[in-house]
Formats: sequence, structure tokens, C-alpha cells
Amino acid sequence: MELFVAQLLNGLVYGVLLFLMAAGLSLIFGLMNVVSLAHGSFFMLGAYLGLAIFKATGSFWLAFVLAPIPVAGIGIVMELLFLRPLYRRGHMDQVLLTFGFTFVFLDLVQTIWGRAVLHLWAPAGLHGIVHIGLGVFSAYRLFLIGFGFAIALVLWLLLERSRIGAMVRAGVDNAIMAAGLGANIPALFSGIFGFGVALAALGGIAAAPILGLYPGMDSEILIPAFIVIVIGGMGSLRGAFVGSLLIGIVDTFGKAYFQGVALFLIYLAMLAVLLVRPQGLFGIKYSDASVAPAVTTTSRPASLQTRTSELGVLVALLILPFLMGDYPRALVSEIFIFAIFAMSLDLLLGFTGLMSLGHAAFFGLGAYAVAILGTQFELNAWLGVAAGVAIAACGAALIGFFCVRTGGIPFLMLTLAFSQLVFSVALKWRDVTGGSDGLTIAEQPSFFGFSLSRSLVMYFMTLSFFALTYWVLRRLLNAPLGHAFVGIRENEQRMMAVGYPTRAYKLLSFTIAGAIAGLAGGLYAIFNGFISSDAIYWTASGDILIMTMLGGAGTLVGPAIGTALFLLMKNVVSSYSEHWLSIIGAIFICCVMFFSGGLWGAAQKLQWRRVAK
Amino acid sequence: MLEVDAINAYYGDSHILHGVSLSVRPGEVVCLLGRNGAGKTTTILTIMGYLQPRPGRIRYKGRDIAGLPPYALARLGFGFVPQERGIFPSLTVRENLTVFARTGRGGAGSWTLPRIFELFPALQARQRNLGFQLSGGEQQMLSIARALMLNPSLLLLDEPSEGLAPIIVQQIIEVLLRLKREGLAIVLVEQNLSAAFAVGDRHHVMNKGEICFSGSTAQLERDDFVLREYLSV
Repeated sequence: MELFVAQLLNGLVYGVLLFLMAAGLSLIFGLMNVVSLAHGSFFMLGAYLGLAIFKATGSFWLAFVLAPIPVAGIGIVMELLFLRPLYRRGHMDQVLLTFGFTFVFLDLVQTIWGRAVLHLWAPAGLHGIVHIGLGVFSAYRLFLIGFGFAIALVLWLLLERSRIGAMVRAGVDNAIMAAGLGANIPALFSGIFGFGVALAALGGIAAAPILGLYPGMDSEILIPAFIVIVIGGMGSLRGAFVGSLLIGIVDTFGKAYFQGVALFLIYLAMLAVLLVRPQGLFGIKYSDASVAPAVTTTSRPASLQTRTSELGVLVALLILPFLMGDYPRALVSEIFIFAIFAMSLDLLLGFTGLMSLGHAAFFGLGAYAVAILGTQFELNAWLGVAAGVAIAACGAALIGFFCVRTGGIPFLMLTLAFSQLVFSVALKWRDVTGGSDGLTIAEQPSFFGFSLSRSLVMYFMTLSFFALTYWVLRRLLNAPLGHAFVGIRENEQRMMAVGYPTRAYKLLSFTIAGAIAGLAGGLYAIFNGFISSDAIYWTASGDILIMTMLGGAGTLVGPAIGTALFLLMKNVVSSYSEHWLSIIGAIFICCVMFFSGGLWGAAQKLQWRRVAK
Repeated sequence: MLEVDAINAYYGDSHILHGVSLSVRPGEVVCLLGRNGAGKTTTILTIMGYLQPRPGRIRYKGRDIAGLPPYALARLGFGFVPQERGIFPSLTVRENLTVFARTGRGGAGSWTLPRIFELFPALQARQRNLGFQLSGGEQQMLSIARALMLNPSLLLLDEPSEGLAPIIVQQIIEVLLRLKREGLAIVLVEQNLSAAFAVGDRHHVMNKGEICFSGSTAQLERDDFVLREYLSV
């Protein structure tokens, strides 16, 4: 009984921390339609700045009160300078922009405070334990629960009972009308963004004595906070509160009583809720129509000219390896593999208008198929690749079945949650997957009798799969099926009205994309000789999203160019500077700000303009 | 008090308004008439700051207001009643009225909740209801009442009679007549000619983004050509 109550309290503590994150995320989404992936970074910054203030002043409470202020300032500056110019564009650019900032903030924290886990002790007054009727409990944890509930109450009063709260709700309902009645909407946006960021920072400093401080704490709170919002309903404060406590308790009890499957329980809870109420417990029914995809580049049928240039590029790629050494050959091989991965995502993102933040799951299925079948059943790696493609396709069909019921931001969150589910299987099922230690591929296969240990053979192997994928995708996109995908991207309702079962088409797109990602994963396992759960963490999905958007979603060439640039930058910059995270983040932020449609998209626009003249 | 001087407006690249000019004097009701797509709503959205005139000038009480955002114009004394009524569905009727209310210059002419409820008794009974629970007529009343709670000096109404039962339209006409008697200047976009004739002092008829007739009620009533070419269905 005592253990049960203790677990319940721990669950409430975790729930309260999640609420501080989810409340801000939900408010920001409700008012501004922005999903901020940087929200976890603000949680982390709050904790670290709190530690700094504590070290300078020696007072925990001063840190507790002061730390959120500078973090909110950072958040407001980010909103003013970077998010504001993007409001006229779609959600995708905003999500990507905030993802770029997670790189910068992570690097900032690692540079200033290092990578080791740091500690911030609970204040002296709350150090001890408290005896209440049912047992002994940590005073700080009890304080946190009370504090969290108090914050929830204050937020509710502010939102429901104050005039400023009514203004926020009016802005959520209809920001354009509110502006016509005197609401300074831009100021309201900045204010709410800053307020949400301050709540996240407060969560960070409150969590520090319990969870410790380490780079990576940003993602570890962000993902469950997203699940809370999906469960509670986007834009609902009540949903954020109920969802937080639910996830906090389910997760804590899962870890205490069902250790093996604890990680899955919150995903199962999410699935259960979504099957019954797709809009979340307290959410308003989400209409797909309000999600305008940002990608507007139209694919054009290949003209003779592009055929010639494609052939030219192929010839160049065939000559290229003879001009370079082993290391660059390996790098280009890796680029080919990730370009396949990026093109598969582009089928979904650029051509069907569905933004997935969980595409690495299918890459992982393909890679693990090769590794596991090879080590457990001594299956030939090529058969492993084939099996991986099939498994990834099945996985995508299954996951897609749930995801394609939504669109826009809910789709993004669902794919993220599912991929984290796959990630936790890879992490926890150590006997089979090796967890974070990973698996080594038993034997490298040969390619038409040539050994893949030679870099030249690896180069031609990956090049042939890259060319094959490119050719297949281009055929598909120029076929009626591809046009149907683009039609769904442009206007799903109209496609429905002219007789296309759009959900089935979206599922097909998702499945094909998953299968091709599985191919990329299988090739990666062969190329790398090793696969671990790190390769399918959610940031891997984010990276491939960046590569695709960097080059230009909605074109097949763009993702390949983006992949090449990203991997070259990563390799070149990381060999010169420890701050490659910041540099890539900054370059990416600039690309989002100034090259809507990616580099290739911008180049095409320039070319069309010249042709038009 | 309001002078719109040769404004042009665009949606993206399409040129909608071609040099529209009109003026409103204190206490005057000016109607904008015309068929669907003539540019009436675009004109009112441009006056309200949702669209930028390029080029063109808008002066209000002698001050150049072109380029100001909508919220600044609301604070300067514009009361906006849009075509879709723009009721906040998750706010109560009372909150809809009070959330952006601004105090007037005091005195008997200033709008307060009791005076609003006296003008629209139906809203008083519904004040705890949420915005989405109202009928179309109640929503229109609430939208007008909400604009009045800003204590505006100029009221901009976009087709307040649209989609409403004749008896409700009659009530709204009476409300507008009373506001006119109290000296409020009004710009009224209408397709319902009898409503426009009942309250309007001067009328502008629009066609294809231009004003093709300007004149008093008597002049418009006599002008068969304009009535037939630009207004009859």
C-alpha cells in the first residue's frame, strides 16, 4: 500500500512536470497554430539557467523564480525575429525552424555546461522527508505536486475568468475578428509564446532536483509532452492537465510494475484514446482542411532537356569514384543511401503533403531486418534487405492506418509517437536488438561477386540502388497514381469530391514511402556494418526531414541535393569545429527563412523566371 | 470625417479595387451597394486595414490612416461588423460584449452593458450562453452590439441583413435608425435595397471594383438605369 501511494505521488510529480510543458505547448498551438519543437530546449535552458543562478546566489528559490525570465526573453526574441515572418507560410516551415533551434540550444548547453550529468539539490527546507498517514515522502516532491496544481488553478482562472484570458480565447476562436475589435494580435502572440516558454523553463528548474541536468533532457520531456497533447486534445488546457496526470501516472506505474513494457504503456494509452476520440479527450474536432501544405513547387513532366541532364549527372557519378580516394567514396555512398531515404520521405511530404516526423522508424525496420536475420538466422544480407523492405512496408501500412486519419500537425505528432514506439522496442528488446549497444552485421555480402569491402564496389552498389529508386519514383510520380498524390496535397477535399478515396491513397503513399525507407535502412546496415537504436531516435527523423526540406520538398532532385549538402557539411564542419550542431542549425534556420521551397526549389524558381522573360 | 481617396486593392496579383473614392460626414449613413463580387466587402476590408491600399489614401478625422493595422483603427474609433458576424464561439455572449469593450467619453451617449441590453433585450436573456449557441439573428445583434461596446465614432457594417428573416431585418433597420438619430456615422454595405433606402443618406453603387453611381436616396430611386443595370437581379 505504501509503495502504491508512493508510486502514485511520483506519477503525480511527473504529471505536474509534463503539465508545465504541455500547457505552454497547447496554448501556443491553440492561439498561433505553431508547434514548437524547441519547447523541450526551453525546459532544458530553464534548468541550466536555474543552476547558474543558484551557483551565483546560493538560493534555490531565487533561481526558481528568476530562471524563467531570461528564457522567456529568448523565446520572445525567437518569436519576434524568426517565427513572425513565417506565419504567412505553412506549418512545415515553422516546425522546421524550431527544429533548427534545438540544434543551436543543445550545442549552447553542451558548450557552457558540458555533457556530464549535473545536479541541483532541492532547497534546504524541502530536503527532508515528510511523514503523512500513509508513509514517508520526499518533501520536495510533495511541494511540486501542490505547486503544479496551484499553477494549473491559476492558469485556469487566468484563462477563464480574466479579461486577458477572454482575449486569448477570442484570439484562439478567430484572431482576424479579434484584430478588428482592437486586439493587438502580434503582441498577444509574443506574449503567449513568452508565457508558454516561461512555463517550460519553470518546469525545467522544478524538475532539476529530481531528474538532474544533462544535454538530451530536452527531447526526453518533449516527446511525452507531445503525447500528452495528442491525448488531451490540441489547444485545450483541461486536456493538457488531464493528459499530463494520466501519462505521468501510467508511466510511473508501468516502470514500477511492468518494467519490460513500461515504455510502451504511454503509447498504448495514446492509441487507445485516439481510436475512440481521434481529436483527443478534450480536443475540438480537427478539420484537415485548415492545414495548408507549404510545398507549392509543382512537378513537371520530364522534358527532353531534363532527360539529357539526368543522363549527364549519371555519367558524372559513374566517373566520379575514379577521381577520389576511399574516404570520399564512402561518404558519397552514404549520401546515396540517405538520398534514397530522403526521396522516400519526399514522396510523403513533398508530393502527398503529409509531414512525418517518424520516418526513421521504417529505416530502422529495414536496417534491423538485415542485422537480426543475419545474426539470428544467418540469412544472406540481400535476402535481409528484401525482408526489410517487406517488413517496413507492413509496418508502414499498420502505422499509416492510424496516422492517415489525420493530417497536418496531428499527423506529425502521431508519426513521431509511433516512431518513438519503434525506437523503444529497439532500445529495450536487448536480447534481439542489442539495445543502444547495437548489432554488428555478421557477414558483408558480395555485390555481383565483388566484395563490398572495397569502397569502389560499395560506391557502385549504392549508386545503382539510388538510380533505381530515383527512376521508380519518377515513373510513379508521372503516372496517374503520382498525380493523385499531388492532388491530395493540393486539395484533399476536392480530390474526395471527384471520387478518390483519399485516405486509401494516403495510406498507399505512406506504405510505399515506408518500404523505400526500409530499403535505405537495409543498405545502411550493409554499408555501416552496424545498427543501434540511436539511428532511429526521433532526431534521426528530424535530420532526414531537414535534408529533404533543405534541398526542396516536392522535387525528387531536391532531397538528394539536400542530403549531399547536409552530410558534407556534417562531415566537413565537424572535422573543423566542435560547434557543428550550431553551425548546421544556423544554416538550416537561414534556409527556412530565406529559401522557402528549399535550395532546389529556389533555383527552379529562378530558372522559370528567366524562361518567362 | 472619413475620406477614401482613389484606393486600389489587390488579392495577391488580382487587381480588385480600381480607384474607389467615398466620404462620410459626421452623423451620416453612407451605403455601398452592388452585386456579388462588385468590391463592396473589399472596400470595407481596405478601410478597416485588413488590406493595404496601393496606391490610395484614407483619411480619418484629418489623419492619414492608410497602412495602420486593424487593431489600431479599432482603437481610433472604428466599430467593425463583418459579413460572417465573427462571433467568438467559445466565449459567452457577455464575454463577447465585454472582452474588447472600450469606455466612451462618458455622458449619456456612451455604450454600456445596461444600455446594450436595453437596445437588444434578446441578448440579455442569452448572456450566459456561448457564442455558438445563438441563432443567426441573435448573432447579428451580438456582432452589432459588440462593435457598439467599443464606443466607436464610425460603424462599418457588412451586409447585416444577409440570410436573416424579414422580421429580424426590420429590427436591425430600427436599431440602425436609432443609432443614426444618436449621431453615429455609419458605412453600410447592403444588397437589400429597401434596407439601404430606409437608413441611407447617400449611396454609392459599385460594379467591377469601381463606383459607378453616387447620390442621395431620392436620386438613386429615380435612376432606373443604375437600378436596372447594377442592382436588379
